[in-house]
Amino acid sequence: MRQLTVKGLSAGYRRSDVLSGITFSLDEGEVCAVIGPNGGGKSTLMRAILDLGTRRRGEVRISGSDTSRLTRIEIARLASFLPQEYDCDARLTVREMVLLGRHPHRSSWSMDSEEDVEIAQECMELTGVTKLSDRLFCELSGGERRLVMLASALAQKPSILLLDEPAASLDFRNQIDVWRLLGRLGSLGVSVLASTHEIGIASRFTDRMLALAGGRCLAFGTPGEVCTGEILGEVFGIDLAVAPDGYGGFSVIPMPGDSRR
Amino acid sequence: MKARRMGAPAWIALVVLVLLGVVLSLSCGPMGFPDDWLTIRLRLPRIALALLAGSSLSVSGCLLQGLLRNELATPYTLGISAGASLAAGALILLQPMLPVIVFLGAGCAGALGASFAVWALAGAAGGSDAPRLLLAGVTVNLVGASLLLLIEYFSPASRLIEIIRWMMGDLAAVDATVPAFLTPFVAAGLLLCLPRSGTLNQLSMGDDLAASRGVRVGAERNALLLASSLLAGGTVGAVGPIGFVGLIVPHAMRRLTGSDNRLLLPASALGGMAVLLFADVLSRVVAAPAEIPIGVVMSLLGGPFFLVLLFKEGRRV
Repeated sequence: MRQLTVKGLSAGYRRSDVLSGITFSLDEGEVCAVIGPNGGGKSTLMRAILDLGTRRRGEVRISGSDTSRLTRIEIARLASFLPQEYDCDARLTVREMVLLGRHPHRSSWSMDSEEDVEIAQECMELTGVTKLSDRLFCELSGGERRLVMLASALAQKPSILLLDEPAASLDFRNQIDVWRLLGRLGSLGVSVLASTHEIGIASRFTDRMLALAGGRCLAFGTPGEVCTGEILGEVFGIDLAVAPDGYGGFSVIPMPGDSRR
Repeated sequence: MKARRMGAPAWIALVVLVLLGVVLSLSCGPMGFPDDWLTIRLRLPRIALALLAGSSLSVSGCLLQGLLRNELATPYTLGISAGASLAAGALILLQPMLPVIVFLGAGCAGALGASFAVWALAGAAGGSDAPRLLLAGVTVNLVGASLLLLIEYFSPASRLIEIIRWMMGDLAAVDATVPAFLTPFVAAGLLLCLPRSGTLNQLSMGDDLAASRGVRVGAERNALLLASSLLAGGTVGAVGPIGFVGLIVPHAMRRLTGSDNRLLLPASALGGMAVLLFADVLSRVVAAPAEIPIGVVMSLLGGPFFLVLLFKEGRRV
C-alpha cells in the first residue's frame, strides 16, 4: 500500500517558492533518503508534507488520506516529525521525553496511561535507550539524544516518520547506528523519509533516494539509480565519481580540481 | 543523575501547608486569637484573597515560563503587570472612589493590552519566538513603568500616596466584594490553562515539534497567553502588583514535580496559596499592630530565597 504520496507539491516562505512540482511516493516500510545541497529545500519538503508554516500547493496523501482534509491531530497520528532544532527542558528525564510523543493519542489534561508507558518502553527498547530511561535528557550525549528523540517520534505510532538530518553531527559509529535503526524500522512497516548529507552511509540502508536541486526533484529511485556521478554531480555542482562500495552501498569520490566553478 | 518526582506525600504536605496557612491567618491579627464570629468574618475575605492571588500569580508565572521556554519569565518581565499597573494607576488619578470591579476590569484590560503589545512587537520584529518576546516584554515593561511615573508626577499628593500604596500590594479586604469580583477572573484563567497543561508541555519543546504532535500552535499559545493575562491582570487589578510569587513558587515546585506542567501547574497553584498566606501573616505580625505591605514582604523574602535556590542549584550541577 502507498503510505506517502506527494503529487505536484510546491512550497515556500513568503513570496518565493523553495520547491516546485515535487512528485514521489513511498510504499509501506520503505526507507527513503532525501539528498541535496544546503538550502536545497530538504527541510522545506518535510515541513510542507506536514503543512508546518509553509505555503504550499499540490497534494499530500498519508496512508491514503488527503492531509488537507485532516486536522492537525489527525495528521499527528499518521506522521511524526523530528526537526533539527527543538528546545529541551533541563529537568525532563528520558522516559518523560519519550512519553511526550504520546500527546496526539490522549487528551491534553490526562496523565500517562499504562498503555502510554508500555508503548514508551517498547520504543525505548527499539532504539536501545532503555538503560537511560531515568537519566536527564539534557545530560546525554548527542548520539544518545538522537536515539531518545527517535523513540519519542516512534511513541507517536506513526505510519511514516519524517526526519530532518537524523544523523547530522554524530560520530561515525552513531551515524551507522541511526541508519541501521531506520532500516530496521522499515522492516517493521514504518516508512521513513530522512534528509542527509551522508550519501555513502545512507545508500547502504535505504530503499529509495530523492535528490533535490534547484527546488526541483532531480531524481527519485533506488540508491543504485540515484547514485551516479552524473546525478550527484548535478545536485552538488561539482565533479564526482561514484563507485560501488562492495557491500550494497556507494562511495562518493570528489574529483580533483573543480572544473565547474 | 536520577531525577526524583513528586509523590503522594508531597501533595499531602502541600495541602497541609495551605490549611496551616489558613488557620494561622485566621488566628493572627491586631484583635488576637479570634473568639467570636465577627473577627473570623473580618479575616475570611483576606484569606480568600491570599488564596486567589497566590494561585493565580504563580500559575501565571508557570504559563509564561513554559510558553517562553525561559524560567525567568514572569508577569513582570513580560510587562503584563506593568500594563495592569498603568491602567489601575491612571484610574486612581482620575477617580479613586470607583467600585472595585472597575479596577479589576482596568487591570485586566491593561494586562491584556500589554500582552497584545508584546506579541505584536515581537511579531513585527520577525516572529513570536522566545527571545524576541522577552525583549518586547522588557520594552513594554519599561515603557509602562515610565508612563506610570509620568502619571505619578502629575498626580496631586493625596492621589500619589494612593497610587504608591496600591503599588505596594494590599490583601486587606473589608468584605467579600474584592474576592467575589476576583473569583471569576481566576476561575476563567484556571479553566483555560489547566486542561491545556499537556499542550503547554509540547509548546515548551518548540513550535515545529509541538505542531507535528498535533498542537494548533498559534491558537493554543494565544489561549494560554489569555489565561495568563486574566490571572495576572485580574489579580494585579484587585490587590496591586505583588512580585516574586510568579518567579519563586514555580521555581521551587519544579524541584518537586519536574517540568511536567500537568503536575507543575496544580502544584504551583497550591504553593502560591501557601506562600501568600504565610507572607500575609508575617506582614501583620512583624510590626504589629502596624502592617507591612505584602508586596514589600514578598520582595524582601523572595529575593534572598531565590538567591539561595540559585546557589543550591549551581552547586548541584
